[in-house]
Amino acid sequence: MEALRKKIPLTLPQNTVKIIRIIAALLLLALVIVRAIDVAAESQFGADTWLRLSVSGLIIGGMYALIAIGYTLVYGILFMINFAHGEVMMIGTFGGYFVFEAFNAIQVTAADGSQMSFLNANPVIAVFLAFLAGMTIAALSGYFLEKIAYRPLRGAPRLVPLISAIGASIFLQNAGQLLFGPQRRQYINPVVLDRGIGWHVELAGSTVVLTYTGIFSLVLSAILMVGLYVLVQRTKLGRAMRAVAQDKKTAALMGINVDQIISRTFVISGALAGAAGVMWGIHNGLFNYFVGFLPGIKAFTAAVLGGIGNIPGAMLGGMFLGIVESLGPAVLGIDFQLKDVIAFSILILVLIFRPSGILGEALSEEKV
Amino acid sequence: MNKQSLQKSAGSGLVFGIIVIFLALIGFTVVFSGLIQKVLGQSLGVGQIPSISNFFIFLGFLGIWNGWRASRQDKHETLTLAKVLMRAAVAGLSAGVLVMLYGFVVGGLDARGTDMRKYLSMLSSDSIKFFLFNQSLVLGGLIHVGFSTLMALVGGLLAFGSERSQQQVRTNRTKIQKWSQSTWLGKVQGNPYVTYVLMGIVLLLLVLLPRTWGAYWNYVMGTVGIYVLLGLGLNIIVGLSGQLVLGYVAFFAIGAYTFALTTSPEPHNLVWNFWIALAVSVVAAALSGILIGLPILRLRGDYLAIVTLGFGEIIRILLKSDILKDFTMGPRGVRNIAGPTLFGRSFTSDVDFMYLIILAVLLSIFLAKRWQESSIGRAWLAISQDETVAQATGVDTQKYKLLALSLGAAFAGLGGALFASRNQFTGPEDHALMVSINVLVLVIVGGMGSIPGVVLGAFTLKGLPEILRELESYRLLVFGALLVVMMIIRPEGLWPARRPKLEVPVGQDNEPVPLPATAGGEK
Amino acid sequence: MKKSVLFFVFVVFAMVLASCGGAAPAGNTTSGDTTSGNTTSGDTTSGDTTSGDTASGEPEVCASDEFGCAVIPAGKTVKIGMGAPLTGDYASFGVDISQGAAIAVKDAGTVEGFAFELVAQDTQGAPEGGAAVANKLATDPTVVAIAGHIFSGSTEAAMPIYEKAGIPMMSPSATNPPLTTLGSKVFNRIAFTDAVQGQFAADYLYNKLGFRKIAVLHDGGAYGQGLADVVRQEFTALGGEVVGYEAVTPGETDYTATLSALAAKNPEAVYFGGYVAEGVVLTNNMKQSGLENAVFFGCDGTFGAEFVEKTGANGQGAYAASLIPPESEAKLKFDADYLAAYGVAAGTLSPYTWSGYDAAAVLMAKVKKVAVLGADGSLYIPRGVLVAAVRATNGFTSITGDVTCSEVGECNTAGPTFYVVDNGEWVQAEK
Repeated sequence: MEALRKKIPLTLPQNTVKIIRIIAALLLLALVIVRAIDVAAESQFGADTWLRLSVSGLIIGGMYALIAIGYTLVYGILFMINFAHGEVMMIGTFGGYFVFEAFNAIQVTAADGSQMSFLNANPVIAVFLAFLAGMTIAALSGYFLEKIAYRPLRGAPRLVPLISAIGASIFLQNAGQLLFGPQRRQYINPVVLDRGIGWHVELAGSTVVLTYTGIFSLVLSAILMVGLYVLVQRTKLGRAMRAVAQDKKTAALMGINVDQIISRTFVISGALAGAAGVMWGIHNGLFNYFVGFLPGIKAFTAAVLGGIGNIPGAMLGGMFLGIVESLGPAVLGIDFQLKDVIAFSILILVLIFRPSGILGEALSEEKV
Repeated sequence: MNKQSLQKSAGSGLVFGIIVIFLALIGFTVVFSGLIQKVLGQSLGVGQIPSISNFFIFLGFLGIWNGWRASRQDKHETLTLAKVLMRAAVAGLSAGVLVMLYGFVVGGLDARGTDMRKYLSMLSSDSIKFFLFNQSLVLGGLIHVGFSTLMALVGGLLAFGSERSQQQVRTNRTKIQKWSQSTWLGKVQGNPYVTYVLMGIVLLLLVLLPRTWGAYWNYVMGTVGIYVLLGLGLNIIVGLSGQLVLGYVAFFAIGAYTFALTTSPEPHNLVWNFWIALAVSVVAAALSGILIGLPILRLRGDYLAIVTLGFGEIIRILLKSDILKDFTMGPRGVRNIAGPTLFGRSFTSDVDFMYLIILAVLLSIFLAKRWQESSIGRAWLAISQDETVAQATGVDTQKYKLLALSLGAAFAGLGGALFASRNQFTGPEDHALMVSINVLVLVIVGGMGSIPGVVLGAFTLKGLPEILRELESYRLLVFGALLVVMMIIRPEGLWPARRPKLEVPVGQDNEPVPLPATAGGEK
Repeated sequence: MKKSVLFFVFVVFAMVLASCGGAAPAGNTTSGDTTSGNTTSGDTTSGDTTSGDTASGEPEVCASDEFGCAVIPAGKTVKIGMGAPLTGDYASFGVDISQGAAIAVKDAGTVEGFAFELVAQDTQGAPEGGAAVANKLATDPTVVAIAGHIFSGSTEAAMPIYEKAGIPMMSPSATNPPLTTLGSKVFNRIAFTDAVQGQFAADYLYNKLGFRKIAVLHDGGAYGQGLADVVRQEFTALGGEVVGYEAVTPGETDYTATLSALAAKNPEAVYFGGYVAEGVVLTNNMKQSGLENAVFFGCDGTFGAEFVEKTGANGQGAYAASLIPPESEAKLKFDADYLAAYGVAAGTLSPYTWSGYDAAAVLMAKVKKVAVLGADGSLYIPRGVLVAAVRATNGFTSITGDVTCSEVGECNTAGPTFYVVDNGEWVQAEK
């Protein structure tokens, strides 16, 4: 064995490794910039295309951010990756869908005497209730998820809750398929929020449509994020959450009910995921039991990119990821198929320079 | 009879009611009753609703469990008959009433001719009638209440009885233990020859089983074997050196594709010898481990996890992308991958492949064990316990982490090459994120850092879904639930690692290799 | 250390011995219960056809058959296997096609008093799962034919296994062109290949619709990419220009970025190779991505009720191809049966349910033809004869029209019918 160990020539000095790493990263960065300038010089795309790409990136980024906050909140307190978070979002999407379906079925007489569905007669109430339902049911599932799958594992080795979360994720996905069937469903939006229509902006001789649903999602996710920030920074619950995140034992000694705070954290993160789910449905329309999986992975990436455990970081990371996905291939002039390659490469680059994410604080040992 | 305990019983009953309703909503009641019918040896045609009596058996089990759980609320209290019956009755009644209410709702809707399958795909009219025992709404509901209460009472009585007999059992157990220690069993435990005998049995099973149990089990067990290889590799990375890697599939893909591209006539027409290609694949995977590791080893914990996840995804996307289509065949995958040959003979039957995989697994277990128990293993242990301290005490953490990564990657490369060769085909969809997750799950389910655990975990993870095939589309649902339950019951894993006692001279590996004994038992 | 080495060497030695000593017969006698699959003619009686009674009941044709006979004891069912994704991302395809096939089983009635049974097993759509299922089904002695598999990768992994066991396949939806060029005796398909469809589609786009600048998109899968490649090649060969060629990530629900980039090149039409889910999203996203004037041209993967239902007004004027000819009596009856049995309209879950019906129907018709009732009351189905009979299918009329297999197993050579969405319904486009 000793002989084998000697044979492996891996004894590069620490500094050399560091320098190689930095040089490689710089080279890569230079390459990217050169390529971007090249592509820009070709001017394949007009201003209208750039606007479309940016808007699309912002909208999807907003949703990533909302889901990413859920990951970050839970991580901040329990140091675990809630792998089933995407499925919580899926449940929220179904919640909103059923409200819309129900309201669409109810016929009422409008002010001008014509028959129309409740959904179109009172779109504000319908949308509000859809969000309420989606957020409530997602929050509830977050609560029960924690109670059933994670709480018994408090104090177990770090990776054990992760596996439990993976199991819960598989369970929820399949339960979704069996309950609601494998078919894709589509949100019936109120007419005012029809997908694909919106404000028209003339740019570079072409019309860019800023969809109502997209702007609505963007604004709503911004509002929810601000709301959450206030909740965490200004309220008693938020203070308790931060205390528990800092040090559970001390927090308990200060009279904070740790279990309760953890439960509430899951409720909050579930509600945000539910809101993102309903938005997803309203903006994109199509969904099925699998809808949570991809956004879940992306949002997790976003949370890490921003610095996991850090709420503004998750928001920033989500937005950043959304924009990189939609603008990245265009900037570099490569296939859109490779957008995830670009997104993950940027993640890796960022983490090489800042090992704990864009806004993450230096990692303390306990979190490893 | 205090109020609190009754409330608790009612709560527990309601939970059971919800479970029954959930199972009915996903159609599991029908499928499981059908399964009971088949187990009991009665035939069941396609699309036929099983007979009601099987549904009673199914409900009976749940009801007994409900009563059992409700009546045993506190480990330390002594149960009295009245207490037990009261609690069980309350639990059974509340479950039954909840189920009855559900029955009224769906039954009523069904009677009005509403087709609920647009929203709840399993609620066909037949299944609702089945749920109400083909009786009228009221009668069906009442049967539910009555049966649930009855079964809960039975469960309560069982719990009561078992409580009584438990003391007896406990004394018996100690008696048996004492007896076994004093007689031959005790002697056997310390005897080195037992190891040889066990090894012999294992050997015999390993040689004989692949020849006897048919192509299907050879295929399934071959997959298990390949996952054992992957698990052993990831165990080195995650279990021993403590780095959470979520992109392990990247190395698997590199191994599989290196092997595929060097042996297939398409697209490069290299058609190398099997063994050379195998070695090249392993080396390529190990090198990629070092290359990927170099820039990112500074990262810790979940940052490392997500970066490696990113690598895995990047590789999969690149493999299927249009720009590399001429090099990797794109999404279509590589076909006609070579099988093993030796002295000009080809060994490609399922039995031969099973042997090859068993050999690879044994070799890998051997190597992994050697490494684990050498100074390298101790360095890994130190790093996984506390990296900073390890560094301070003079362990070259960078080097050992890289070493772990590349050795782990080499195992994945071997697994990938065997995988590609056995299927004679590999495509990008074989290398999805779920592979990484599955391997991580098997390492942790088995018990981190434990080699027998990896073997057991691979059986659980890849064997269980095959065994659960009878459950058709419910198999992954059940699998997911089992995963959660398994983690709650045994958070340390099925076969947890015993940390080596450092005072004992390392290298005494007189433990039997427990792999095939379970292989036989699994069937 | 020494002990382990010794042990290891021992195992190697024993295995090499076992492998060499038995390699020749190993392929044939892998297990007791695969009897009819791969025993040599002399062995047939000694397998799991338990009693001497059975042996006496065996018809002569079994002895001469290359693969022996499948023996169905009285009271058992004749099983038609299917490998389909029943869980995971593509579950709707597997569930739907197996439901279509299940209706065929119901319609098929009995053969000599024996009922048929459909055994659908989950492949999760992956090659690995396909091979596992094939091994499982091939081990069951009462599985006589396979209506499947569903995806090309899973099919390809499964083919050698069925080949060895002599079980004929009829795939409803594995469209990858090379599948029939691998020299398989057992593989047939009712779907047309991507090559045929791509050629027709390019021709239609160029000559019929008069487009000269198109963009080609696919979903990054084997099916979609294969199709897109053919269309790009053929369209360019005809003299047209392919201004953009991109792939989308399946499963996502927002493709505006990809479409916006294509829109900058002003294509007249967007050809898409892939499945309904992505087709719907693309169609819905086109308007807001600056492609409001381009025509969406799909393939047989985007055909079906789901497309029109989910695209609504956006779908107006979109094209698709299908192997289903316009409304026939058989199709209407099937649609009604499907709706009654599963509560959703046929074609909502996937575009292939009709092919699933037909694949199973063809197989069962052939089983009826070759099955022989033994003197002992068991049903004997000579496997080799069945394989040949399926390949020789000629003029079988069903939902997908005339099913006639070529010598390599292409059973639908008629080419696609093109459909266009008009007011929320698929109507046949001009020929």
